[in-house]
Amino acid sequence: MQEENKNREFDVLVIGGGIAGQESSLNLANMGLEVLLVEKDYSIGGKMIHLSKVFPTLDCSACIATPKISETARHPNITIFTYSEVKDIEKSGKKYIARVIKKPRYVKEELCSGCQECEFVCPVYVPDQYQYDLVGRKAVYVPFSLANPRVAAIDIDNCILCGACEKVCPTEAIDFTMEAEEIEIRFKAVIIATGFNLFDAHNKPQYGFGKFKNVVHSMQMERQLVPTRPFNAVLRPSDGKMPDNIAYVLCTGSRDKSVGNPLCSQVCCMYSIKQAQLLMGALPLADVTIYYINIRAFGKGFCEFYQQSKTMGVEFVKGKVAQITETENDNLIVRYEDIFEGKVKEAEHDLVVLAVGALPNPDVPDMFKNEKVELGEFKYVKQVDRFACPARTSMEGVFVSGTAAVPLDIPDSILSAGAASSEVNSYIKKLGI
Amino acid sequence: MGKTIDIIKKTRTVPEEVKEKRKEFVRIKKLIIKSLKEGPKTIPQIAKESSVPAVEITYHLMTLRKYREIITGELDDMDEYFSYELNNTK
Ligand SMILES: Cc1cc2nc3c(=O)[nH]c(=O)nc-3n(C[C@H](O)[C@H](O)[C@H](O)COP(=O)(O)OP(=O)(O)OC[C@H]3O[C@@H](n4cnc5c(N)ncnc54)[C@H](O)[C@@H]3O)c2cc1C
Repeated sequence: MQEENKNREFDVLVIGGGIAGQESSLNLANMGLEVLLVEKDYSIGGKMIHLSKVFPTLDCSACIATPKISETARHPNITIFTYSEVKDIEKSGKKYIARVIKKPRYVKEELCSGCQECEFVCPVYVPDQYQYDLVGRKAVYVPFSLANPRVAAIDIDNCILCGACEKVCPTEAIDFTMEAEEIEIRFKAVIIATGFNLFDAHNKPQYGFGKFKNVVHSMQMERQLVPTRPFNAVLRPSDGKMPDNIAYVLCTGSRDKSVGNPLCSQVCCMYSIKQAQLLMGALPLADVTIYYINIRAFGKGFCEFYQQSKTMGVEFVKGKVAQITETENDNLIVRYEDIFEGKVKEAEHDLVVLAVGALPNPDVPDMFKNEKVELGEFKYVKQVDRFACPARTSMEGVFVSGTAAVPLDIPDSILSAGAASSEVNSYIKKLGI
Repeated sequence: MGKTIDIIKKTRTVPEEVKEKRKEFVRIKKLIIKSLKEGPKTIPQIAKESSVPAVEITYHLMTLRKYREIITGELDDMDEYFSYELNNTK
């Protein structure tokens, strides 16, 4: 940690460096306010940086995300702490004090050039969380190619302490003596931009995720569709075969009281239609079937995008999937209720994608000392005046941005982030300190 | 200057589970490399020859491909399986 960051004062603390946190930080920084952005991951970027293309335009997600990430990282009014977490936040007069824990990455950020020499010599392979476990990574690694900062990190829990990385590092950036640091920060307002969690498909055991090799979730399919994909093409994990009959199961973990999430996740219909279109491009001979309860194509250009997928040959079956079983050749039998015909039917596919929903991030309420930021009925951060001031929370000076408040797509997350930054700006002006 | 690895070694030990996982990766890596020394092969072919489940071969082979130890070859006539080969330029 550079000395100048210790006990510093900022105007605003932004927690979470996804698209919403970046947008809020940039707006505030451009208004002349000093922002500290705290991100718990090794890189800013959130989920968007890992997506393939975006609906309904099919623009490349990384091409939209990376300029904003670079602008955030370079802005003179924004300080970023990655691999850091807010331990607690306390009100102190008109201001707040936070204790932030900067965890050790065992690589000196200011020295690492991201050359990956260490990664190539590391002898340890473990599942790569940024490829959603479809391939492995090393114990020392640059998290992903578009990471910002593009700096290596050591996964100390899986390191065999061989020291090969330290020997080979050309800039002497590896430092196994690093320890966690606690930093005290003062500021006037907070924006919670901690985003959403993905539904864990293991919690829907009747769909066989983690048991049947060719049942994957939608984030794994996003990764299969990007240029930095885990495999050389879209392939079945069971045997590397190019799939030719793919099924999507919508509402996996959304609109489902049995898993405790009755909410619609807002994006699964559209991202499944997007992936289906991309799959038809990647695998021109493949059949794609989407099992749905209702298609929610409510945004600008969404309905046209949905119709376009039908003309491309994507098959839509209105049916709730009850169960998935596996055949001897690793194909999958999808058992569903055909809602139009009122019959239970079965169909065979060679790859099934579970369109997993969004869940609230449980990190938020525990951050505040003495006071709790209120959560709404579905455990997202409560918007106390949703129509007049959508970013306002139950605590004075604490605002919410993006999917920490409600599931949203990217354009709506950006709009929400804009609202949060302007509400924070007027709050700070009124504070008069 | 001394290496910082020597300092951490005084206070930290490597869990057995981590050592075991590494051994298992190396075992499967060797089987894949042995199989590919004979020439390009598909994942089911390597799995059959090495008696390792194909799903594990996919994971390990794709990891080796990521680190450029293996490269992608041709797609078969049925447009189903790619073959993979050793990267001899490495
Ligand atoms: C499979 C899939 C495909 C999608 N495709 C599209 C698409 O094509 N088009 C579209 O518009 N939308 C799409 N979306 C939705 C899109 O991902 C979201 O709209 C967007 O990511 C929301 O951004 P966010 O910043 O609110 O949250 P996130 O992206 O979740 O970012 C939150 C950030 O906060 C950090 N964080 C979390 N907790 C803490 C903490 N305690 N302290 C510090 N940092 C923390 C996280 O590490 C992360 O960086 C898709 C979603 C999924 C799951």
